Amino acid sequence: MMHFPSRRTVLGAASAVTLLALTACGNVAGGSTDSSKYPNGPVSLTVGQAAGGSTDLIARAISEGASKTLGAPMPVVNKPGANGALATKEVAGKPADGQNLLLVTASLVTITPLAVTADEAVNIDDLDIIAGLSQDDYVLVASKASGFNSIKDLTGAGRNITFGTTGVGTGSQLAQTVLFKQAGVKGTDVPFDSGKPALTAVLGNQVEVSTIQLGEAMPQIKAGKVAPLLVFSEERNSFLPDVPTAKESGYDVPVAQYRAVAAPKGTPKDVKDKLLAAIQETFKSDSYKEFNKKNMLTPKEISGEEVVTQWKDYAAKYKSLVEKYDISLSGTK
Amino acid sequence: MDFLNPVINGFVVVLEPSNLLYCLIGVVIGMLIGVLPGLGPAATIAILLPLTYNVEPVTAIIMLAGIFYGAQYGGTITSVLLRLPGEASSVVTVFDGYQMAKQGKAGTALGLASIGSFIGGTASIIGLTFLAPVVASFALDFGPAEYSALALLGILLVATISNGAKTKALIAAAVGLLLATVGRDIFTGESRFTFGNLELADGIDFVPIAMGVFGLGEILYNLEERHRAAKAPSKVTNVWPSRTDLKQASGAIARGSVLGFFLGILPGGGATIASMASYAMEKKRAKQPERFGKGAPEGVAGPETANNAAATSSFIPLLTLGIPANATMALMFGALLIQGVTPGPQLVEQDPGLFWGVVNSMYIGNILLLIMSLPLVGIFVKILRVRAAILAPVTALITLLGAYTINNSMFDVTLVVVFGIVGYLMKKFGFEPGPLVLAFVLGSLLESSLRRSLLVFGGDPTGFFTRPISATLLTVFVLVAVLPGIRTLLAKRTTAQSEQPITTKIKEKV
Repeated sequence: MMHFPSRRTVLGAASAVTLLALTACGNVAGGSTDSSKYPNGPVSLTVGQAAGGSTDLIARAISEGASKTLGAPMPVVNKPGANGALATKEVAGKPADGQNLLLVTASLVTITPLAVTADEAVNIDDLDIIAGLSQDDYVLVASKASGFNSIKDLTGAGRNITFGTTGVGTGSQLAQTVLFKQAGVKGTDVPFDSGKPALTAVLGNQVEVSTIQLGEAMPQIKAGKVAPLLVFSEERNSFLPDVPTAKESGYDVPVAQYRAVAAPKGTPKDVKDKLLAAIQETFKSDSYKEFNKKNMLTPKEISGEEVVTQWKDYAAKYKSLVEKYDISLSGTK
Repeated sequence: MDFLNPVINGFVVVLEPSNLLYCLIGVVIGMLIGVLPGLGPAATIAILLPLTYNVEPVTAIIMLAGIFYGAQYGGTITSVLLRLPGEASSVVTVFDGYQMAKQGKAGTALGLASIGSFIGGTASIIGLTFLAPVVASFALDFGPAEYSALALLGILLVATISNGAKTKALIAAAVGLLLATVGRDIFTGESRFTFGNLELADGIDFVPIAMGVFGLGEILYNLEERHRAAKAPSKVTNVWPSRTDLKQASGAIARGSVLGFFLGILPGGGATIASMASYAMEKKRAKQPERFGKGAPEGVAGPETANNAAATSSFIPLLTLGIPANATMALMFGALLIQGVTPGPQLVEQDPGLFWGVVNSMYIGNILLLIMSLPLVGIFVKILRVRAAILAPVTALITLLGAYTINNSMFDVTLVVVFGIVGYLMKKFGFEPGPLVLAFVLGSLLESSLRRSLLVFGGDPTGFFTRPISATLLTVFVLVAVLPGIRTLLAKRTTAQSEQPITTKIKEKV
């Protein structure tokens, strides 16, 4: 364990070096004062998740479109760690000149703080949100062996039900724990590392139900290997029009994953406007629309202010739900 | 015939030009490092891991696999010609191989080794081809309980991994298990040993540990070793073994294939143990055991067949169960994870292109090796003249650069340096790094699967015995607990009977 003492110093030095390297290309004194020249060199888009996941794919689709309009390359930088908190803290600490952007997920702001300690949680006020992107819905699926074909089957089963989640402090966990409480059903929360193993566990009937993102569940739903019981979005999902929402079924638990592009706090307004214009241009392109469709994402192209209000509302709502039903996301009942 | 369709599609994948190219690059690198006594395949794969990041998953694994089995061929060359085993798995080849070379039969020895390797490797691929779908058909029955049992079995074998001292292996494995606990508890969100550092929230990444312990540690350790100057190798003529030689060796090749195949599948087994076991078996079976050590063709053909068969069959537990059987497979596991592919029973079904692409690339790779190894012997031997003073800094630099590129993280680079020093010190004090890394990988699997199963079972541990597969695995666990004793006996016998001082020196290598 001899490496622990030196860690922080090295880390500090390392990020200083990275900072230097990044500011070297934008070598204008004060950076932000000369925002008419924006973008000044490549605009990096940091993703707090590993390459290949849905968040990463969205970042790449945005960077492809926005870099054309901005006239500067927009490399996607994957910096996985702590559900994205690591990347968020890093970008929030960068100079507010619009050269360093972040693709931020709502769950990190609205749900993860319910499961981790305060100093590990992310505050949306540390960022300037540029634009909301899309909504990624959660669907509750049941295994064949469970015999559940509708939410009524589940609530009427009258026994303890094991449910898989995609991890602690995720929308999947929150949605199910709240749903089970509201329905008065006893359930055991079994966390998996991500959506894929949670889905596999349903396929193999290791757990009876699980809540995962639609894009991941869709192939198995179509193949008839798992039964979709409900979606947690406020309105029905256009890719799954026959599946009721939790709200329709009488449960007040609106959960979905939202994503937005953010910049460090204090980014000049004209820089933000340029970025927003570039992103909106991307929204209009056919290839981006096609991308959303292919990945079962519902466009939620709203302004930064709206993102902040909505996410804060969700955070407050989840907090009150958790308190009301005396739920602890960290598994200590 | 449905079963064969994906297999045939796998060939289509392999025959894509880029995959063929990477297969060739892999086996050439494998042969090169096989010739070099310092660098083993585990170290090389650790160093090259990040380079595969931007390549298609199947291509990357094809190349890395090529390095692994290619090294088994390369190691033979120096064993026979210079009495200098390039790989731990070729140590026993020295006994009879070098004697044959002295008698002017170097070509025959190499020819036999190549043919044996080819047959052993191919036999294992065929075994893999038929076994994988069987395991995969149980794929969905593999739940948390089964993984707990598997991981438990794996850790037991890791802790008793043969080569070094048992206590030291146990200590290394325990450290590996401890390291696996670092990070956010995935069941409660509680931070463990992170000291408030977000970099550690997801735990320590496997790749920097492997790159440090195997890559950098190995480079540092080699700097300390004084290499014997490469002398001119014996002339290699007439690589085609005579009919009598072939006849003498054919039994050994057949037995080596079977033995290697099974020892490769066993967690904790692998090429080195297979070669030693095969040598011991051949010697025991021989009508005139006194010929061994004096240039008996079986003494070359058997072990060389077995080590290749084992190298190939050790892919079985990884690709079908997601359990790495040895250190090199742990690195393959890491490579797959970097690529976003989680190896496990679902792999064959979910990603048949990748699975069969990799498996079938081994046929091609083995053919390439067979073609290359004989005519290019002279060139490969020249590699030995590259001085460590040049090789070491270059490889160290590649390692550190590579570590940065995976997550764009300087923290990872720091980890590699720290674990490089740990790896160096471990080797210096006679600890095997293998158990540490394997226990690290299996430790997190065991913890999460065990806790998950207990949640599913409502806290009742007898639940493990209500499921057929986990019950069977746990029974095997008990049975296997006795096996290492027998195997060590076998290995001990081999080493005892040979009075070659090199053995002790080389066997420390993974």
